[in-house]
Amino acid sequence: MTKIKYTNPYLAGIGLGLTLLLSFLILGAGLGASSGLARIAACTELYIAKAHTLSSEYFGKWGQNPMRYYLVFMLVGIFIGGLCSALLANRMELQVERGRRSSVRLRSAFALIGGVLVGFASRLANGCTSGQALSGTALLLTGSFVFLICIFVGGYATAGLFRRQWND
Amino acid sequence: MISTMYQLGTLDSAKAFLASLLVGIAFGFFLERAGFGSSRRLTGVFYFKDMAVIKVMFTAVITAALGLTCCIVLGWVTIEGIYLMPTVYGAYVVGGLIFGVGFVMGGWCPGTAAAGAASGKMDALIFLLGAVIGSALFNEMFALIKPLYEWGQGGVVFIYDTLGMSKGTFNIILSVAAVLMFWGCEWIERRRTGQSLGENASILKTLSVAVLTLAVVLVAVGAGRPSGEQPMGQAGGVISSESQLLEAIDMAQDHIEPEDLADRMLRRESGLIVVDIRPVIEYMDYHLPNALNIPMKDLHQTLMPYRNVGTIVLYSNGMTHPVQARDSLYRSGYTNAYILTDGLNGFIERCLTPVSLRDEIVPLEIAAKIRAWRSFFLGSEAPPQAEPATPSEPLPSSLLVDVQWLEKQLNRPDIRILDLRSQPEYSTSHIQNSLALNVENLRTNINGVGSMLQPGDMLAGYMSAMGIRPTDTVVILYGDKTQDATLAGIALERLGHASYRILNGGFAAWKSAGKPIVTDLPEIAASNYAVTKSDMFSVDYMTVLEYVRSKKGIILDVRPAEYYEGAKSNEARAGHIPGAINRPYTEDLVNVDDIPQLKPVEELARAYARLIPSENSTVVVYCRTGHQASQTFFVLKRLLGYKNILWFDAGWSQWAARQELPIE
Repeated sequence: MTKIKYTNPYLAGIGLGLTLLLSFLILGAGLGASSGLARIAACTELYIAKAHTLSSEYFGKWGQNPMRYYLVFMLVGIFIGGLCSALLANRMELQVERGRRSSVRLRSAFALIGGVLVGFASRLANGCTSGQALSGTALLLTGSFVFLICIFVGGYATAGLFRRQWND
Repeated sequence: MISTMYQLGTLDSAKAFLASLLVGIAFGFFLERAGFGSSRRLTGVFYFKDMAVIKVMFTAVITAALGLTCCIVLGWVTIEGIYLMPTVYGAYVVGGLIFGVGFVMGGWCPGTAAAGAASGKMDALIFLLGAVIGSALFNEMFALIKPLYEWGQGGVVFIYDTLGMSKGTFNIILSVAAVLMFWGCEWIERRRTGQSLGENASILKTLSVAVLTLAVVLVAVGAGRPSGEQPMGQAGGVISSESQLLEAIDMAQDHIEPEDLADRMLRRESGLIVVDIRPVIEYMDYHLPNALNIPMKDLHQTLMPYRNVGTIVLYSNGMTHPVQARDSLYRSGYTNAYILTDGLNGFIERCLTPVSLRDEIVPLEIAAKIRAWRSFFLGSEAPPQAEPATPSEPLPSSLLVDVQWLEKQLNRPDIRILDLRSQPEYSTSHIQNSLALNVENLRTNINGVGSMLQPGDMLAGYMSAMGIRPTDTVVILYGDKTQDATLAGIALERLGHASYRILNGGFAAWKSAGKPIVTDLPEIAASNYAVTKSDMFSVDYMTVLEYVRSKKGIILDVRPAEYYEGAKSNEARAGHIPGAINRPYTEDLVNVDDIPQLKPVEELARAYARLIPSENSTVVVYCRTGHQASQTFFVLKRLLGYKNILWFDAGWSQWAARQELPIE
């Protein structure tokens, strides 16, 4: 079975944009992904140290059932949607994506540390590329534009440091 | 007109969860379709290899932005119906920069990583794990980061206001920028790969023309309708002029009707924050269930976390103060603050007056509603005949009550008696329907300190198990320690449960007066006690340290003098917090037949007037574990009416153990 080519980026963009519009009209809120991850973190912390988590200022305000939140369900949806699309396009393949000359260990370490930074930064900025950079800019919110610009500044400034994981 | 779930306050309903799941599925599907299930493709943008990220992202932004403007112009939806995130400049700049580094290093962002993990990318799974760790790290470091998190708060602000242009003009500029960016991306890729645009060309041309045309048409339509831009600016934008504020008032967007509030409170709508801005004495006599009592001057500071989150309803007896408070909040960018029409007086008259006392004929369904409201807001539905319009028989204004008073209240359904004596003492004799409670059960270990009062939701769990409702008046009986009663009292205060009384002299006073006692256990139905986050009096050692350094408050050490002086010690270090004044809690007590009672209020008032300059002075009370200090807290705040009393629960046992903290 051959992999089906990626959808034309502009058409995929229109699809994403309409999904976002639908989210605005039905939910009254944009898309989001990092909140779901933070809720998972809160849930894990609750499991390990309940009183500590409940008394902590940030996670504490989410109460005893942090998973009862609409963005947790959206995150599950993203996973299901991604799975459907990958299966339909024959793109399902277990792998650690990296450059041919790069090691699994290096790529994994970068992914882990990058994840930590992104998870942390998303909380600091009340959102990630989905909630702020995509949804917030579509609402023309100043903060979201500031965030988006800073992502690219941060990314381009340090891209050279992490290039070796893609070396072929 | 569409009412969004955010507008209806139903984002926490099962329907919203299902809708979110479906929206998420579409989101994930298009992310994977676009090729964002590949970290290589995602990061390609940072090496000018693959510009898909910019193409997809900006197409999506421009589609949604113009689409939403269309829907607003067509009157399908208002911008008020959508959650608008407030801007925090400093936090977003730093957050964006860190995010950018994490993105290029990890190769993913949260949404794409979920789609990537679904298509078998192990690096995406690792990245997600990292992001969960990063979130937890944020929570753990929150105390440290908070200043950064709140640095540069600008409220809800739109980019076109920031840039000083109209929304239409900005839409055109954004569209032109997007189109230029698309062609720029194609140019970069073509230069790299040498391939021509191919099928992309026709799609891109069509898109460019469509986007630019739509942007221009929207401006033309907006110009043709002079009020077209107004819903946007007035509802969500920072209030740039007084006329917008007045217009919002003119359009009655600033208040909420009593019946509406009653219904929303009855169904325990989440995100509804009811604020009572009356003096604490009035608040303690009667307040709406779960209402927070916040003095006017503290509104901005205390309500900060709720700015544009949920619905804030302000009330007082009348309307004047709430109106002024609400306008002040509105000017600071709160678009979610409302006043209760006709105040608490109007609420009682319109919602809680029994049907039988009304002049007008009440339709059946309204009568049923009134009964439901009365039973919710007054605790129980009394026989409708001779019920006065006031909420309940006024309680004594002092929180310290005597045996005669308690005896008269025994049959009231909204009175709950907590007996804090030991289990054998309770089992052999107690007051009818009283509940046994070991006060130590209200404490737990938090952050390594073993004697901390439990967080609000744990306490609420106890209340539910004991069948106590927020509208009940709790009467506390102690055995031989007054501070047991005040510790239970401070637990109720943490829950925002202001309606409690302490029987002076405790159970012994009841017994020696020869009042009836029983040995059977009460029949209790569990209640559902909602959590409120109203504790604004507990402080941690960092806050105390600030008072030590700034010398702006009074620190009261209520332990016995030999512990204060350091002659005796059973903690890590001996002594006291620098600058603290010693006023042992026992000084406030007098023994009557070997049972401690609080001294008469006048005597206490004279004693504390010598220590505390004014009723507005900030006073931090502490002892070893917070137990004895709860008594001084009660005396100062509830008996003597000092307004700014803070309770350092962790007390000397934590202060002494933290070697970095100064002592005397």
